[in-house]
Amino acid sequence: MSIILVTGGTGLVGKAIQHVIETEPEGSRFGKKPGEKWIFVSSSEADLRDTEQTKRLFEKYKPTHVIHLAAIVGGLYINMKCKLTFLRDNILINDNVLHTAHLTGTQKVISCLSTCVFPDKVTYPLDETKIHLGLPHESNFGYSHAKRLVDVQNRAYKDQFGCNFTSAIPTSIFGPHDNFNLESAHVIPALIHKCYLAQNNGTPFIVGGSGKPLRQFIYSRDLAKLFIWQLREYDDVEPVILSVGEDQEVSVKELTDAIVKAMNYKGEYILDTTQADGQFRKPASNKKLLSLMGEFRFTPFDEALQDTVQWFLNNYENARTGARGT
Amino acid sequence: MADSVILVTGGTGLVGSAIKHIIDTEPAGSRFGKRAGERWVFVSSQEGDLSDPAQTKKLFEKYKPTHVIHLAALVGGLFKNMKYKLTFLRDNMLINDNVLHSAHLTQTKKVISCLSTCVFPDKVTYPLDETKIHLGLPHESNFGYAHAKRMVDVQNHAYKDQFGSNFTSAIPTNVFGPNDNFELEGSHVIPGLIHKCYLAKKNSTPFVVSGTGKPLRQFIYSYDLAKLFIWQLREYDDVEPVILSVGEDEEVSIKEVADAIVQAMDFHGEYTFDTTRADGQFRKPASNKKLLSLMGGFEFTPFDKALKDTVKWFVENYNTARTGVKA
Repeated sequence: MSIILVTGGTGLVGKAIQHVIETEPEGSRFGKKPGEKWIFVSSSEADLRDTEQTKRLFEKYKPTHVIHLAAIVGGLYINMKCKLTFLRDNILINDNVLHTAHLTGTQKVISCLSTCVFPDKVTYPLDETKIHLGLPHESNFGYSHAKRLVDVQNRAYKDQFGCNFTSAIPTSIFGPHDNFNLESAHVIPALIHKCYLAQNNGTPFIVGGSGKPLRQFIYSRDLAKLFIWQLREYDDVEPVILSVGEDQEVSVKELTDAIVKAMNYKGEYILDTTQADGQFRKPASNKKLLSLMGEFRFTPFDEALQDTVQWFLNNYENARTGARGT
Repeated sequence: MADSVILVTGGTGLVGSAIKHIIDTEPAGSRFGKRAGERWVFVSSQEGDLSDPAQTKKLFEKYKPTHVIHLAALVGGLFKNMKYKLTFLRDNMLINDNVLHSAHLTQTKKVISCLSTCVFPDKVTYPLDETKIHLGLPHESNFGYAHAKRMVDVQNHAYKDQFGSNFTSAIPTNVFGPNDNFELEGSHVIPGLIHKCYLAKKNSTPFVVSGTGKPLRQFIYSYDLAKLFIWQLREYDDVEPVILSVGEDEEVSIKEVADAIVQAMDFHGEYTFDTTRADGQFRKPASNKKLLSLMGGFEFTPFDKALKDTVKWFVENYNTARTGVKA
């Protein structure tokens, strides 16, 4: 019997993993296996910044495996305003989860880093060996340092105790159940929400920045399958980048155009170049992933974006938009 | 009621006791002496385990420090560092987080934490300077300690940025002096050699130095370092760290160190180098340009004199020194 605890289980990635586990055929490559019990927890069940609450959570479920996705996340502006909070709260969450897992003899933990924690000054494409070669970009200072530390912690636990702790490094993720709150959302959900409001209210659709930055985007439901693969088949302490290929970069402008199309938005949009762009590009190599997995079929970008927009339109009332306390 | 209450954590260690010595002996009101209205408090782990938030909180409530010189850490030699990577990482992070966060919550005016040149990247261009701390992974031999210490610089920047806290750090090179850890198992090179030579003299056995004796190091006398900490406390309010070191031209070889110890100990027995043993890094010079440009002049105690005083202290205090004997 395996009990797989997914922290951050109701978030963007957590929900995607749940979706895949519930919809893929049982016993298939990414489907639920017999003897597996999957538990998706959110902060309403336990505040992982608190050691006691984390301990009680582990006592309640007794997980054999953990996919640790819970984190304090946010967009550019909130990261720059609350550097200490993002650093410290994330370190608390990660330390509580890893240390509790160690103390309770959890068999395996996969934590979640991000390509945004790599050094600002680095040669591209990013790969798994470059995480610590310099300081991260200032725009996600606290989050980056806390996440990088997870890789350090994994190695320390492995070295001293033999723990099977490892990590995944996704690129920019999008999909249903994202945070669409304009105050703190990442670029895709923010633009989807902005376009929606422009369409509904006749307000201008303003895109922050020049539209030029490039990103590799991974659909949450594809990422979910990769996490399931890593849980079942990968036992090295070294992280793995979970991403589409480098040749799949899209610009923010291309993204906006795709949203306009998916939304069937008939108005204009404006690029506000007075607003910060964030990092220009950060291509990451998925060579290691593909060499280990064999093949993997990623959902075509336009299709994934269409599905996400469709989900947002269908679920606007319940989506995390920042309206009415969501 | 004191105007300033300066809490020194790790207050009974090598550096803490040196600061206490300076404060107790320099003329009051002089550049490095105690100022009127200053109350200095030196605490050790006996008074509070800083890896425990509740105990740290109680310590801050008890003394209400306006300033903190934060020296407390879990330290050790090569063997322990490599065997307990998680312990050295996690316990040091707990200590540092508890001290910095308590200081923030109780609105301590200033905290100076202590890094070390040994936390710099293993692959780096020399000389070391304050801009290079994070440019790559540290040497594996102090994995946990190094990552925890580097994190202090990150924390300082975060507290400064979000709350305006006046948190900063000092980066000493190799420190030596009275009250060091002289245990043969886990000590650094100077106290290790002093203890070895002492035993060789006492037992009429050979004094054998590991390695070729060729590696070079910059050593700073703890009493000089203490003065630099006091300077930094009084006159330096930037978040960026400062390397506290003698100049690059003051490097000495391990052989020169051993010769000076032999002389100071008045040792006349057999004295050899075991070249089959590993040397460690050949040199890792650090620049003290920033320090000198900010301080103006500073008179470092000449190496031979500082070493002689340290040997003398050890010989006179052998029974109570941290030798790992008669524990």
